[in-house]
Amino acid sequence: MVSISMKKRISFIFLMVALFLSLLVVRLAWIQLIQGKELQAKAIDSRLRNIDIKAKRGIIYDRNGSPLAISVSTESVYAVPSQVRSSGRVEEIAEKLAEVLELDKDKLIEKMNKKIAFEWIKRRVPDEKIKQLKELNLPGINFVEENQRYYPKGELAAHILGFAGIDNQGLNGIELAYDKELRGVSGKIMIEYDAAGREIPNAMHQYIPPVDGHSIYLTIDETIQYIVEREIDQLMKERQAKKASIIVMDVKTGEILAMANRPTFDPNNYADYAQEVWRNFAISDAYEPGSTFKTVVTAAAIEEKVVKPTDRFYDPGYIKVGKETIKCWTRNPHGSQSFVEGVQNSCNPVFVTVGLRLGQDLFYKYLNGFGFGQKTGIDLPGEATGIIVNKSRAKEIDLASMSIGQANAVTPLQLVRALAAVANDGWLMKPQIVKEIRDLEGNLIKKIEPEPINQIISKETSTQVREILESVVSEGTGRNAQIEGYKVAGKTGTAQKILPGGGYSTTEYIASFAGFAPADDPRIAVLVVVDSPKGIYYGGTVAAPVFRNIVLDTLRYLQIPPQVSSEDKKEKIEKVIVPDVKQETVENAEKKLKSVGLKAKIEGEGDLVITQLPPVGTELVKGSTVILYTQDEESDQVVIPDLKGTTIKEAHTILTELGLKMAPQGSGLASLQDPAPGVRVMKGSTVRVQFTSPGKDDTILETISP
Amino acid sequence: MDFYKKILPKLDHTLLGAVALILVMSLFVLNSATAHLSSSNLIKQIMWIFVSIGVFLIILRIDYTIFTKYTRYLYLFNLLLLISVLIFGSEIKGAKSWIQLPGGLGSIQPAEFSKIFLILTFAHFLVKKQGELNTFKDLIPAFVFVAIPLLLILKQPDLGTGLVFIAVMVGMLFVAGANPVILVTLFGGGTIGALFYIYGHLKFGWWLPLKTYQLNRILVVFDSSIDPRGAGWNMWQSKIAIGNGGFFGKGLGGGTQSMGQFLPEQWTDFIFSVLAEELGFIGAGLLLLLYLILIYRGLRISLLSKDLYGSLIAVGIVSMYLFHIIENVGMAMGIMPITGIPLPFVSYGGSSMLTNMSGLALLCNIYVRRQKILF
Repeated sequence: MVSISMKKRISFIFLMVALFLSLLVVRLAWIQLIQGKELQAKAIDSRLRNIDIKAKRGIIYDRNGSPLAISVSTESVYAVPSQVRSSGRVEEIAEKLAEVLELDKDKLIEKMNKKIAFEWIKRRVPDEKIKQLKELNLPGINFVEENQRYYPKGELAAHILGFAGIDNQGLNGIELAYDKELRGVSGKIMIEYDAAGREIPNAMHQYIPPVDGHSIYLTIDETIQYIVEREIDQLMKERQAKKASIIVMDVKTGEILAMANRPTFDPNNYADYAQEVWRNFAISDAYEPGSTFKTVVTAAAIEEKVVKPTDRFYDPGYIKVGKETIKCWTRNPHGSQSFVEGVQNSCNPVFVTVGLRLGQDLFYKYLNGFGFGQKTGIDLPGEATGIIVNKSRAKEIDLASMSIGQANAVTPLQLVRALAAVANDGWLMKPQIVKEIRDLEGNLIKKIEPEPINQIISKETSTQVREILESVVSEGTGRNAQIEGYKVAGKTGTAQKILPGGGYSTTEYIASFAGFAPADDPRIAVLVVVDSPKGIYYGGTVAAPVFRNIVLDTLRYLQIPPQVSSEDKKEKIEKVIVPDVKQETVENAEKKLKSVGLKAKIEGEGDLVITQLPPVGTELVKGSTVILYTQDEESDQVVIPDLKGTTIKEAHTILTELGLKMAPQGSGLASLQDPAPGVRVMKGSTVRVQFTSPGKDDTILETISP
Repeated sequence: MDFYKKILPKLDHTLLGAVALILVMSLFVLNSATAHLSSSNLIKQIMWIFVSIGVFLIILRIDYTIFTKYTRYLYLFNLLLLISVLIFGSEIKGAKSWIQLPGGLGSIQPAEFSKIFLILTFAHFLVKKQGELNTFKDLIPAFVFVAIPLLLILKQPDLGTGLVFIAVMVGMLFVAGANPVILVTLFGGGTIGALFYIYGHLKFGWWLPLKTYQLNRILVVFDSSIDPRGAGWNMWQSKIAIGNGGFFGKGLGGGTQSMGQFLPEQWTDFIFSVLAEELGFIGAGLLLLLYLILIYRGLRISLLSKDLYGSLIAVGIVSMYLFHIIENVGMAMGIMPITGIPLPFVSYGGSSMLTNMSGLALLCNIYVRRQKILF
């Protein structure tokens, strides 16, 4: 039935069909086999956009829950370029953005013309500017809340905290070491975007909420840290040093209570500082500890019984080790002395002798035992190991040098830990910087317990060394660290700096003081290291007073009661009334005071007592001192009295009775005066006296006293 | 029963085997394409397949030549069906294409069925006009014959099915002996003219009876960056899904693009993308091969038909399948404009399945009755 023409036509249709279907197969092969990979990448890359919702970074607290690093929400501005373009107002939008955000208009236009789904305009924009922009209601310009790290205490504990970058990533310090805990888990908004970056209506839109980061509780005590920061600032101001580091460690637990370095930085603007300043010198820089290291040598020598405290030594001012000569630090030889006196004098020949007695094996046993040449394992990034002379290469002279704290380089943290071990019945602790990790609700996630590593010396040795080191402060080179009411142990250190090319500098020194308190029941160990102070460079002068101030304030803050012996207490209870000694001869006045149990201090050079402080009738503890201001009756000259510590009224009385006038300044207690005490002036002269509030400026009182 | 015992072994098994394989592939792919929807969708589709097989068997029983007697009524019924959808139909996504069946039986798409009615009636119309299709004037009645239901379909609007009508008409006219020069001039020139007019619309703002989204569905073939939110998006996502499949595919249920529901109407209009992503070049190529077999066997039946009426019905049905395949697959691969017409035997949907099965039934009907002596 089918005609030939129709057959042809149907065959033609089939040919067409075969052709069309072949075309489809070719197209299919093209897409699947050739374009496949590219399309797959595109699928992930530009069609579906995951916008990370950064989790709120955990808070860093001090040990008492005071926040040191927090996260503050700020808003950032971004553009969806295609939306901006489709509004047809690119120029205008760019101009407004440029105006409000102080950006370059041309660059903004460039951004708007990009063929991408998402473009940051500016991140972390102040609230008022966000408000302005929101009011402008610009198409294609959107806002997203981002968390910014804020360090409310500024420079306080900067090197411990470190800082987090713009994407909330930990970059230094605790922020880096505990980044994983602090960071939390980012959430996501998964949005489908089409080729022009527009959100697809009714498209998949999934929100995975972020899991906020955990909070870190440091072992740092904000108050102690503040004390340390204050002292280190004062130190830098006075001594114009290159660098300084201070560490306060809890002797019993190994917890770092405070740690500060100078120069320092404000983590809120960390990028404004040189990277060098970000270094936590206290753990990252090794130095030759000098005489402070003698504490460790003392402990080792006593433990190994190579020396008794009473052993006698003779110091001719130097000691010969093989062909080399090691000089003592002072020009005047210490001569004959006991070992204890040798420690008090920080006598080099004594320590060289003791070190050589220990011998290489034992010396290295204690070097390793006290953790030198190894990382302490503190949870902070960038810790150095220090440099220990290789045992196999160590000669006698090396051992001798090491005995006086040379040749080896240690980090401040290593040294303070070793000293804490000496104080802590010989137990070396792992230094702790983090106490607890808690979640945002405050539930405990992890508690970090003190970690004893090893007992290096016995309890008895520890007690003996504590007593020796206490005597260094009470009678030896460490006198400037003395604190009334507390027993303090410690050791000064003054080391010549090593020159970059080797050898020792003759102009630059590292002054340090390492100690602990209270000496009989140690609670805190403190190390003060000052690199290249200007002028006086002795550890006893530069570092010891800083140590003293820190220890005093810290012990008071920790409410550790002053240790006053029982006899002192009894005497104190007995009180006496100050008798009238005015117009008496100095000799008689002294007798009179002595009879009631008071001491006399004479000011001036005259025979006659013009006035006294405290005045008649004041109740005083037995043994107290009464100041007698004297004057030569015939002379019309007066010796300026020392008014330090007097009230305005007292100073006025004294000066008036001496025939002088006063020009007071400020309020509180007398701190500065001009002319200085001891100067002879004509009667009727004026003395300028500066009064300051007590406590506020203790340090100033300290500095002007001779 | 006797009838079926006799007739079933005589059917075109190659044709039916190809369709059976297509159905199997379809069910597997639909399973993952509708994974995010309720599981009853797949069961519904299987149910529709059984209903369609029932209809297939019924149609097989009726000698197709009987339909010539009812051409007038079939044509009118078709028009009534298309008018009723405009009156009673419920609007879904801007088109009145669906009639809701009572009693929760779902909804039907009359335009689908109308293709079969068109083929049956137009075949008879052309048989009567045999030898009178040489001039343009001769062809006018034929155009009018198709134009009436076509306009009703475009009124819904359902551009896709409208284009199927034109494709079916051209195919049948060609085989019926219409002057090929006129056909090529009219439809080749028409297509080019339409494109030119669209260009004029874009360039000079000439009036165009298309909504923007409809226009974009055409333009996207030439520039996929056009309408990236609508048509462009669909095309991109489809291409990505297909490209993602690679040679072996991502495995059933493993299509990340399709499982992520990137594709709109992925169980109907964009089912090919899902299939290509999950079964890869091998699977998609196999499907196209099966379609080639289907069409080859369909055209073969057209040749074997005992009469012109059967030949024309067969060509009409083949044209219908062919247009659906080329348009649907071409759209998925970004070489055809986007129109929402289903892929035969693969896309989800009862009306489409019923229509395609009816077409298959007619092909078999013609095939088994090719020798008069049989009954």
